[in-house]
Amino acid sequence: MSHRGLAAPPRGGAPRPYADPYVAGVGLGLVLTAAFALAGRGLGASGAFAAGATALVHAVSPDQAAASPYLSRYLDAAVAPWRDWLVVEIAGAIAGGWLSARLAGRLALVVERGPRLAPGPRLAFAGLGGAAMGVGAVLARGCTSGQALTGGALLSVGSWLFITGAFASAYLVAPLARRLWR
Amino acid sequence: MTDSVVLAFGIGLAFGWALERAGLGSARKLVGQFYLTDFTVFKVMFSAIVTAMLGVFWLGRLGVVDVAAIYVPETYVLPQLAGGALFGVGFVVAGLCPGTSCVAAATGRGDGLATVIGLLGGVLAAGAAFPAMAAFYESSARGTWQWPQALGLPYGVVVFLVVLMALGGFRLVERLERRAS
Amino acid sequence: MTSRWLAWAALLIGGLSAVAGSPYLAARGQVDVEALAATAARGEDRVGAVELATWIHDREPGLRVIDVRSREAYDADRIPGAEHVPLGAIGRTRFTHDQPIVVYADDGTEAAEAWVLLRAAGLRRVFFLRGGLAAWLDEVLEPTLAADADAEARAAFARVAGLSRYFGGRPRGGASAGTDAGTGGPSGADTADRLAHLKRRGC
Repeated sequence: MSHRGLAAPPRGGAPRPYADPYVAGVGLGLVLTAAFALAGRGLGASGAFAAGATALVHAVSPDQAAASPYLSRYLDAAVAPWRDWLVVEIAGAIAGGWLSARLAGRLALVVERGPRLAPGPRLAFAGLGGAAMGVGAVLARGCTSGQALTGGALLSVGSWLFITGAFASAYLVAPLARRLWR
Repeated sequence: MTDSVVLAFGIGLAFGWALERAGLGSARKLVGQFYLTDFTVFKVMFSAIVTAMLGVFWLGRLGVVDVAAIYVPETYVLPQLAGGALFGVGFVVAGLCPGTSCVAAATGRGDGLATVIGLLGGVLAAGAAFPAMAAFYESSARGTWQWPQALGLPYGVVVFLVVLMALGGFRLVERLERRAS
Repeated sequence: MTSRWLAWAALLIGGLSAVAGSPYLAARGQVDVEALAATAARGEDRVGAVELATWIHDREPGLRVIDVRSREAYDADRIPGAEHVPLGAIGRTRFTHDQPIVVYADDGTEAAEAWVLLRAAGLRRVFFLRGGLAAWLDEVLEPTLAADADAEARAAFARVAGLSRYFGGRPRGGASAGTDAGTGGPSGADTADRLAHLKRRGC
């Protein structure tokens, strides 16, 4: 069931199979519930990226960062990231993802791509896709973690609109992007 | 409710772990969703949403948590629809979303790293273009607006309806997956 | 299969949710008698008219002023910026847990009841207006400086006078008491009218 195409085999032998998606989903939902119960807030990811972007601008020009109407909101997070909930949470996610992969033998230095796409173009598309998501997440005040999961579980209308918009456009664009994946 | 960063790290750890376990750190697995072969994304996402939704409802109902104090994202109808649509395009092209791109990068995937860099670029671009977008960004604000309010139904009834919808969705995608294999 | 079990569990729990009532504490509430009594004894359950005026003037973040009287009373006269939420509907209104809320009625009774209810619902920064709308009319719209007031009282009056004018009131007193007091101008009669109207209707 491994979809890594022409990749090098992972260290530590054959990878363990993925967990049952429903079980993993329930696990994820329990994590989200714990966040609600213990911290009064849900998960997020795009906010950490905004903090990262602000940190980059701040490093080059603190004045620019402070003057930007959007980025200035993330100045505190950029200047003291270890105190920002989202940044620390994403740091944890990186650690958790790594740990899980390590224990399951799924660590691999590889570029995942469709069978008809070379690594170079794949990386370019990944970057472009990331850029589109970055803008979308700014407009929507979140991404699949902050809006779809968190807002979705809390029954926020706007979050469900985000999910609908995202899935609808993804399905519509998928045939056009076929060459990337099939 | 605490703001502790230790808690944030712990929750993040579990978050990243769960994503990787489910296989969502793999772009090829994620996009299977949109080619109707592998609906892992749908199953994981909606199982999570239903679980947390039920969790919040019952923790509130049993008086364990003051659910009115949980921060609910505000609704901005047009920006969230438009942002979602743009996000969806990016999602299909990159094969990863912000959270899963971090997990992918952490597990050695170069495309994960490229997505992360692209995301940073996108946010920077949006930040730079913000003054031009500001009016649209603030438009169609509805404040905190949840389905029970919007539909005029009791919270618990909406919860049940969402459960029914999700289970129906799962039945459907299982059938689609069987047809694809 | 695990997923079968999960599906049935979700269906069961979801079904129960449909008939379980509300997840919000506010709908059921709990009364911590000790805590509420202590708050009341310390006088931290109420706020004065001038203090409220200052909050409104300074745009205290998240402030909500709630009028718990009848619709007719609200339409007839109210504190600027006040929302109308009759006492019966106070349980259904959505408040953020940390926003400052000031409830008022004609003098104090329904407002004090609303205070208990909102505190029971778990809200923290709730106050009722000491003296109600009557106090607003008296202390904010027509503050009076006594003829024999000392320097400190005069200074305090000067601050209140500024606030009063902001709300369209007419402070009485200042340079020498009696110049614009008494039956003075249209708004003087206005306020006296509004006060009398309130007092007539009683508690």
